[in-house]
Amino acid sequence: MEKILFLVHTDGGPLSKGALQALGAASGLGGELVVGLAGVSTQAAADSIATCGAARFLAVDGEAFAQPRYATDAAAAEALCRVSEATVVIAPSTSRWARALPGVAARLHGAVDTHVTSLGADLSATRWFYRQRMEGTLTRTQRPWMLLLEADCAAAWNGAAGSATAEQVPMAAVPTRTTVQGLQDSKTDEQTIRPEANLLFVAGAGWTKKQADGAIHTDQAEQLILGFLRASQASLGGSKSLVDLSGEGQAVLRCMSHLNQVGQTGSTPRHPKGLSTCCHGEEPHVVGWRFINDRRAVNMDANCGWARGKADVVYVADAFAVMAIVNRMLGG
Amino acid sequence: MSQPFHIVVCGSIVPDPLQMLEPVTGAAGPALKNEMMLPAVLDPWAAHALFEAAHLAAKHAGSKVWLVSLGPKAKLQQVMLTVAQKVPFELVALDGPASGFCDSLATAQVLADAVAGIPALNRDRLLLFGGWESASRGAGSTMQIVAERLGISEQFQGVDQLTVREDGSMEILERVEGGRHLVSVCSAPPAAFGWATGHLPEPRNNPQVGMTNMKTIMPALQRAKASAVAADGLRFAAVNVPKLQRQTRVVKDMPPEEIARELVAWIREK
Amino acid sequence: MSEALEIDIACIGFGPATAGFLYTLNRAMQADAELAAAAPMVVCYERADDIAFGVSGMVTRARGIRASIPDLDPASIPMAARVASERVVYLKDPFGASRRSAALKMADLAIHNDLLAAELPYIPPFLHKSDGFVLSMGQFLQFVGGEIMGGGMLQIWPACAVTEALIEDGGVCGVRLGGQGMDVRARLVVVGDGPVGAVGRQLDTVFGMPEGHHYREWAVGMKMVVDLADGVDLEPGTVIHTFGFPEPEIFGFLYAHPDRVVTAGIFVPSWMRSPVRTSYRYLQHFIQHPYLWRYLQGGRLRAWGAKSLQESGQRGEPKLVGNGYARIGEGSGSTNVLTGSGVDEAWTTGTQLAEGVIELLREGAPFTRENLDRAYVSRRRASWVEEEGRVAAKSRDGFHHGVLPGLLGMALSGLTAGRVSMPGEPQPLMDLHSYYRERIPAAEIDRIVSECGRRGAPCHDALMDHCGWPPIAYDGQLLVSHQDALLMGGKVQGAAGYEDHVSFRDASRCAACSARVCIEICSGQAITPAPSGVPAFDREKCVHCGACLWNCTNVSFQAAPGGLHSTEN
Repeated sequence: MEKILFLVHTDGGPLSKGALQALGAASGLGGELVVGLAGVSTQAAADSIATCGAARFLAVDGEAFAQPRYATDAAAAEALCRVSEATVVIAPSTSRWARALPGVAARLHGAVDTHVTSLGADLSATRWFYRQRMEGTLTRTQRPWMLLLEADCAAAWNGAAGSATAEQVPMAAVPTRTTVQGLQDSKTDEQTIRPEANLLFVAGAGWTKKQADGAIHTDQAEQLILGFLRASQASLGGSKSLVDLSGEGQAVLRCMSHLNQVGQTGSTPRHPKGLSTCCHGEEPHVVGWRFINDRRAVNMDANCGWARGKADVVYVADAFAVMAIVNRMLGG
Repeated sequence: MSQPFHIVVCGSIVPDPLQMLEPVTGAAGPALKNEMMLPAVLDPWAAHALFEAAHLAAKHAGSKVWLVSLGPKAKLQQVMLTVAQKVPFELVALDGPASGFCDSLATAQVLADAVAGIPALNRDRLLLFGGWESASRGAGSTMQIVAERLGISEQFQGVDQLTVREDGSMEILERVEGGRHLVSVCSAPPAAFGWATGHLPEPRNNPQVGMTNMKTIMPALQRAKASAVAADGLRFAAVNVPKLQRQTRVVKDMPPEEIARELVAWIREK
Repeated sequence: MSEALEIDIACIGFGPATAGFLYTLNRAMQADAELAAAAPMVVCYERADDIAFGVSGMVTRARGIRASIPDLDPASIPMAARVASERVVYLKDPFGASRRSAALKMADLAIHNDLLAAELPYIPPFLHKSDGFVLSMGQFLQFVGGEIMGGGMLQIWPACAVTEALIEDGGVCGVRLGGQGMDVRARLVVVGDGPVGAVGRQLDTVFGMPEGHHYREWAVGMKMVVDLADGVDLEPGTVIHTFGFPEPEIFGFLYAHPDRVVTAGIFVPSWMRSPVRTSYRYLQHFIQHPYLWRYLQGGRLRAWGAKSLQESGQRGEPKLVGNGYARIGEGSGSTNVLTGSGVDEAWTTGTQLAEGVIELLREGAPFTRENLDRAYVSRRRASWVEEEGRVAAKSRDGFHHGVLPGLLGMALSGLTAGRVSMPGEPQPLMDLHSYYRERIPAAEIDRIVSECGRRGAPCHDALMDHCGWPPIAYDGQLLVSHQDALLMGGKVQGAAGYEDHVSFRDASRCAACSARVCIEICSGQAITPAPSGVPAFDREKCVHCGACLWNCTNVSFQAAPGGLHSTEN
């Protein structure tokens, strides 16, 4: 029987949705479950999932483990893996675990898979390859096997809280040359990335192209886009070509940075709805839409590949004209 | 007084992002259909890392940049002639697969051996660069394993900015959840950095740089070592292109006012 | 301007001619230690982002290529196959929408089969390619390029556009590279930049054309590479040539590669006098002709591209050499317009120059006009390329009178070894009103022109719809919009940060122009109407085919990187 370690960080507050989803997936695998926690103080978190059916709760407590840092995160995970003697390690795909666990897998001579979207009962993992353009289902015989589960890919564990007895795993001081300073918000003037937004607004490269009058209207484009974001509280995404232009100081949308990039070379945001404007293209851009449920587009070309099978509704129209009215209506 | 860096960038080739990709399953596991015929480019994630490396090296006299690249030699040869015109670097070419289905552990082992084998590399001044992700494998794990194999415990992923401070320490901005950056300071090399997009645009081709690079690139390609990348115990049950065909309603000849009304109603729906 | 680089030989463009040149030079340097020790520095500059970005197909007898590579094995080159069968087919117009002569209308009436086509019982010997290969230009160049660079002595730099030759004292002394504006001085500049190459055109302007030579005949070739649907098999090496549809003047072809991949395409020639010259729409109708659609239906577009062809053949030959330069390939007038063969001839001129250059390097002789004349031009003059080019020189003149006289003229030239030909002089393109006089009322033409201008769109679709061409039933995989073809099949990308390489010299001439052939002929919808009267140009859609150049002297077309289409021949 596999010994399954569910790894989680805690800042003392309730566990995140992603962590509970990973726990849901881990507890559904049918092996012997061990919970491994790391943080300044892990007891509250352990109690919150006390009834998850874990055979053991292991904890690494200490100031050093409060901050996200490779050396300390990897040391904590390594210790938890060793003590638990886990054969399978399940963790939510947070920036911390995604950074630390591959190195831990290497230390333990194990294997690692990231971007896992589902776990089969036979312990097969499905994950993306080629930046969301292909999915593969695989199994491994190598152990320990670490799997980083993407958000919203499994049902969250929702059992009752209780009282857990967490065993402290002794840790020596971790040597590191890195000090964490804190978090910094995006440097753009306005907030354009809102991961929790109901809507992703995708600005296509068409916003910066010559329009029907033969001229480029980036100022107007920027006003329309920012106006819409303010009115709708949508999150902003863009194609690589559009974002690249902004890096070159051309006549571009100043509100866009590389952080807004979605698709093959950018992020893969998840929102219930997506509205694409002035976009034309297939694979490279569409991969940014893979996890958008309800998609609409405003596009000048009725026969565009977009119009065929990728969006739910395509409006053949000039996005400049449409968005000006949308903004007015939303503002009113 | 700044000290020079020895920057090693790991980066390989991927199919040109505009290509349509289709998987096939052969005796050796999954692969891309017509893989050797697809035009290739330097992985855009690794390319960011390379451009950042060159930028950093240019600011710190005496620094040096190597590019360690594992891929089919014939394909590397073509891609490197373009890459060579971008920024100065010395190539370490490894003749092997560049498939997205190669296991990151096995790939990392080959890369780590190659980095360790670079003559004249000062491991105390080593900055290991690579892509945070990749347009092929997207493993998000290769660079961490390479760094572990090289004994580097200071690691950063999703890096958008690396600033060397007066005292020689480095301030690093890493992408984290919520569109924000985690700010850390690493007091000294060696350290490893998986780059996100950074802030630099792709440099324009510079023939002068190309001429200089070519002196080392051509011999490096000539002596590219055949490198086997094999993963034990990994078995693929299936590889597919996700089916995402939707029934699209195409709305033509609707006045902008009416489209806007529909959109606003749709946006307001819960 | 930074300090100039110094090299020995600079080559412009990596097409079949330069490939032949470099391949021959590399082989000689590998075999001859003395030559290798002298190690001339040779760099080939290619505009496109890769030396093999295309996977387009061609058929060639490959006589010159096989002379260079005697052990050429199609199995070692992706998409290569020996020619298995050849057909020449007349295609009937299923819609009655084309502009046909009475004779062709009669011919159409005689065809009753389901395929609406008639296979010719006899293929004249000068047209056959039965001992040749079906190849992908991109894959072939990748194969050759790999071998050239694998030798470690010669370099091919993609994404590096040569904007002009450096001219001093009546000769060429180097090249200027785009983007950085860098100069590279070279003892010899090998000009192989094709029929619309910036340097070739510059040299023609500076040094003039030989007496009586001209580029008056041209064509735009457009093709797509298609993955056939499951269950459709076509023997690799099958070669089909067509005429009669979509317009009588448009020739078409379909070549079968291994693994159920085909190339299908058309040539829209200068002697088709229509100002509505949209190769893309015509190509879509062509592939849907019942004779071809039985193979192509359900297929998927894999690659797409366009280029223009210099169809004046030997009469389009410029001055082949001068002090410090030599010209090879299509831009040097090597294409045989009778046999419809250009790749092998281009390759061969490259090998001839290489042999001459090796001779001069061994002698330690400078690359003067006299020496190049002796070492290269004399080889070319004594070769089959020259001899057959002479036979072909006037073979297509009859097309200036119409399709049937043109075919007759070809037969006459081909069967009499060029001794007899059908004379003819090029006619200018017709204006819209004259061309459509019998099909569309003048006021309706004016309305269409004005409406399309307002939308910033070319007129060809509206005009063709009016003439009875059926709408395209887009299926999202083979029948796709022109813009999707650019993305899905053409992989067209314009690198950011460069200037527009197409511009219009005199705005008043554009404003006064009613034909706007540059817009209608553009292979990528990169040139569109704009309110000012001067067309708008979108460099991210340009495939560098150069079609806009042929019919207008007001177009300025510079060399620029990108487009990915150097190998889409």
